[in-house]
Amino acid sequence: MPWPEKNRYLGKPTPRADAPAKVTGRAKYTADVVKPGMLFGAILRSKWPAAEVRAINLEKALAAPGIKAAITAQPVPFIVNYYGDELAAVAGTSRQAVLDALELIQVDARPRAFVTQELDAIKPDAPRVVPDSPNLGEGKARETGDVDAAFASSAGVIEGLYETQVELHHPLEPQGSAVLWDGDEMTAWSSTQGVHGVRTAFASSLEVPQNKIRVLCEYMGGGFGSKFMPGVQGILCARLAKAAGAPVKLMITRFEQALAVGNRPSSHQKIKLGADATGKLTAIQLESFGTPGHRSGASTGGGSGGAAFPAPYIYQAPATRIKQGSVAINAGQSCAFRAPGHPVASFGIESALDDLAVKLGVDPVAIRILNDPLEIRRREYQVGAERFGWKEKYRQPGSSSGPVKIGVGCAGSAWNSGMVRETQAEVQINSDGTVDVHCGIQDLGTGSRSVVQVVAAEMLGIDLALVTAHVGDTHFPPGPSSGGSRTTSSIAPAVYDACEKALAELKERSGIEDPRGANWKAACEKLAAFPVQGHGRWREGLADGGSKVAQGGVQFAEVEVDTETGFVKVRRVLVVQDCGQVVNSLTCESQINGGVIMGLGYALYEQRMMDRTTGVVLNPNFETYKLPGPADMPEIDILMIDQPERGVIGIGEPCTVPTASAIANAVANAIGVRVASLPITPDKVLAALGKVPGAGRQDTTALEIEQAFARLAAAPATTAREEIHA
Amino acid sequence: MNAFSYVTAQTPESAVQLVRTNGRFLAGGMDLLGEIKEGIAAPATLVNVKSLPGIAAIQASGQVWSVGANVTLTALAAHPEIVRSFPGLAEAAAEVGSPQIRNVATVGGNLAQHSRCWYYRHRDVKCRKKGGTTCLARGGENKYHSLFTGNMCISPCVSNLAVALASLDARIVVQRGAKSETLTIAQLYADAWRSPPAHNSLRADDLILRVELPVVAARRSTYLQLGEKADFDWALVSCAASASVNGTSLSQVRIVLGAVAPTPWQVDAANASLEGKPLTPALADAAADLLLREARPFSTNGYKVPLAKVLVRRALLKLVA
Repeated sequence: MPWPEKNRYLGKPTPRADAPAKVTGRAKYTADVVKPGMLFGAILRSKWPAAEVRAINLEKALAAPGIKAAITAQPVPFIVNYYGDELAAVAGTSRQAVLDALELIQVDARPRAFVTQELDAIKPDAPRVVPDSPNLGEGKARETGDVDAAFASSAGVIEGLYETQVELHHPLEPQGSAVLWDGDEMTAWSSTQGVHGVRTAFASSLEVPQNKIRVLCEYMGGGFGSKFMPGVQGILCARLAKAAGAPVKLMITRFEQALAVGNRPSSHQKIKLGADATGKLTAIQLESFGTPGHRSGASTGGGSGGAAFPAPYIYQAPATRIKQGSVAINAGQSCAFRAPGHPVASFGIESALDDLAVKLGVDPVAIRILNDPLEIRRREYQVGAERFGWKEKYRQPGSSSGPVKIGVGCAGSAWNSGMVRETQAEVQINSDGTVDVHCGIQDLGTGSRSVVQVVAAEMLGIDLALVTAHVGDTHFPPGPSSGGSRTTSSIAPAVYDACEKALAELKERSGIEDPRGANWKAACEKLAAFPVQGHGRWREGLADGGSKVAQGGVQFAEVEVDTETGFVKVRRVLVVQDCGQVVNSLTCESQINGGVIMGLGYALYEQRMMDRTTGVVLNPNFETYKLPGPADMPEIDILMIDQPERGVIGIGEPCTVPTASAIANAVANAIGVRVASLPITPDKVLAALGKVPGAGRQDTTALEIEQAFARLAAAPATTAREEIHA
Repeated sequence: MNAFSYVTAQTPESAVQLVRTNGRFLAGGMDLLGEIKEGIAAPATLVNVKSLPGIAAIQASGQVWSVGANVTLTALAAHPEIVRSFPGLAEAAAEVGSPQIRNVATVGGNLAQHSRCWYYRHRDVKCRKKGGTTCLARGGENKYHSLFTGNMCISPCVSNLAVALASLDARIVVQRGAKSETLTIAQLYADAWRSPPAHNSLRADDLILRVELPVVAARRSTYLQLGEKADFDWALVSCAASASVNGTSLSQVRIVLGAVAPTPWQVDAANASLEGKPLTPALADAAADLLLREARPFSTNGYKVPLAKVLVRRALLKLVA
């Protein structure tokens, strides 16, 4: 049976179940875990961007007051490849004792030559980050059609260089775990996006049977792709606890967060587009490289290991030539980052498409509707343009009067959230009418508890307040990691199924034909001391629309740009998002707000700065790694395209994909020239407007970029594996 | 972290005595605690000056307003008489950090704060300002750095108040040994212009007591800054201006730029060029050109030149608006 058509909760706004606990401070996060005798852990990190570590002497640290354990990060000797790489860790009775002890650890290391800038790393004489492989990884190449002929016969061709920065993972709660050993059994409180995945990783790293490990994550403060695994810090925490014979808590600091726990790879994208006179794409050529950090090589779509991204993104042409490479530098490694690869891909292609539209004199919305293969997005552009007032607002680039110029832009997102079919849930109906739902998922801040609660209350026909959702525990039925925007589409059907089974048993044991709603109390009373349990699994028909039909979203942005100062203010962002069957409209909206804000940071503020000379991250703090604040917020207008017939789908990632692209297009529309590099800061705006004497790209940089692309072209290519991005 | 002792001074004289054992003065602590936590400063003694009598008030005496060193930026920005008579100062205070920071940060601390250069502030980098051999920003990442400097270090003065106070001809009263001395803003930062390790001209045992502001008839003032974010961000460039205004004519003009030099940046010829003339955008631009004539941008801070120019024009036009 499908989702009910008449709903009490489903699709309606429900305040998140744990909001009171969070705003009153009763919610306990990993950092709040305190156990008797618990020690503090901390990590000694490399001050060398590259070195051979020959010996580590822990004796003085171990002898320091309050220190109970000290270990090396790996068996010595080993190589460190970036500033911040883990060397050793200590545990002790106070945070200060531990920090002091770190300074007593003696490390014998031989520094190696290093390189922290992508353009430097590509040069033939650059130091190799990984000694036995070149810094420029194998290109991923693909070609269809006769590309050169297609360009030659196109009515309009544009070519541009579009660049994106390395974005750092900065969830408000940093990474960390607390670990307690009881004999050979281990309990870990981890700030994680996947309790089950963390258990598996702990078990294999520590060589402990999985059934001896329990991982808990009752509350956590964001992950965005950086918290699927225990991380080096989690493993070190567990090892310290074992070595000390006492529980240890190891939360990393904001400083460390900037070095070693993942980031979004950068990109340099050389894009050439051709179209006929109407704007229909005839050819797409894209060459790109970026850095995923100190490991390069095979691309994995913007996750760890590579700097490639879906290409061509969204738009297709009869002739397409793609080559994507990745460059190793001595810097912290990338990892999954909210919609891995997509915002990067979106910025390049959506910028290029707008430049093409301008060249051809075609309206940017029209060129998208003409070229977008997805019906949902085409419809969203139409609906969104109307709501946004696109026709009235869109003017020729740079044509608004006065020094503060207004501009508008738009862009789309592609996603395919899918689901995890193995997801399970357990519903227990108690004799007092209350219900416990157990799911081995975790709520990383998106409101997953409320999803569970809403589905159970809806299916059982009872008041929401009767349902308690229990999540974040490997003792609960297996659930997916919270990634790929698929938690909701995985867990909602499993809870549905569990409710159906529990209801069937309740009906049988109570003898009441329909125990829901008005009959609930009477039916439950008959259970006495033996609650009903229904064990549910994900099933077809409730959330599989997402896998059959790609998801789409579009966004529109309106900005004002002060052409004298270069300052960009985003006035308004309109989100038109394909939402399938909405479960909780309030948290759905909240997710979209967060996605837009993250996209705003990507567009205007955030950028990791690596120093060429010292190899350090220059902005390991919120002072100079800039995040959007309240005063920077635009009006965010959300139009959820509710399509119940598609079942439950996820929106956590797609809603952040097109924000930066739409803002960048709006900036270009406002000022009449493109700032083709994120983040769009005042210095870049002034330079693009020709107001910075002697600026723009210096000749040497332009030459280096050309040489880099030449090397990319000459690099060996592998045929890309098919990626699922429509 | 090094252990330190903590003492509360009851008089300015005892405060400067106590600080001499490798100590630092502690008021709001916004700047100092960050330096200690990052391992940049390791004082043996923290001398709490929050209890010193008579330096937490804003008061008038004849034709001089006095702002105590312990006045918080929140109090300064909200003080009705400061807002009325010295709007540029109130505006400069209101642009500092966040409300939480302004509630704690003090006037003295804002003036005495150390460099925010990201090389200087990095725990594992030894730059010229920290006794290293070279300024890493010169050949490195310098988008937030100076256009002018008299020494190797190119980290700019980022005190909002310094810029505003320079435009108001303020004097800084400092406890120096047993007596108090009075410095101009130019004197307060002269050493930072000359010497790489210096953040200002204060000796380790100099304690800022108060700021004195002369009341000048018909004088108007203003302060503008531009950051990369709308709020809670450092100025890329700031500009303070003051002048006696007669219609659209300005006299006794003080135009000062911040975040472009190790000191608040003034050029006498720029001030003089505006004297007694009706202000026009062209005149303002010409004055800005005089201010910026000696600018020597580095690899990525050249944008500060046009940015400074427009802030100068806007600040001057705001005076006659």
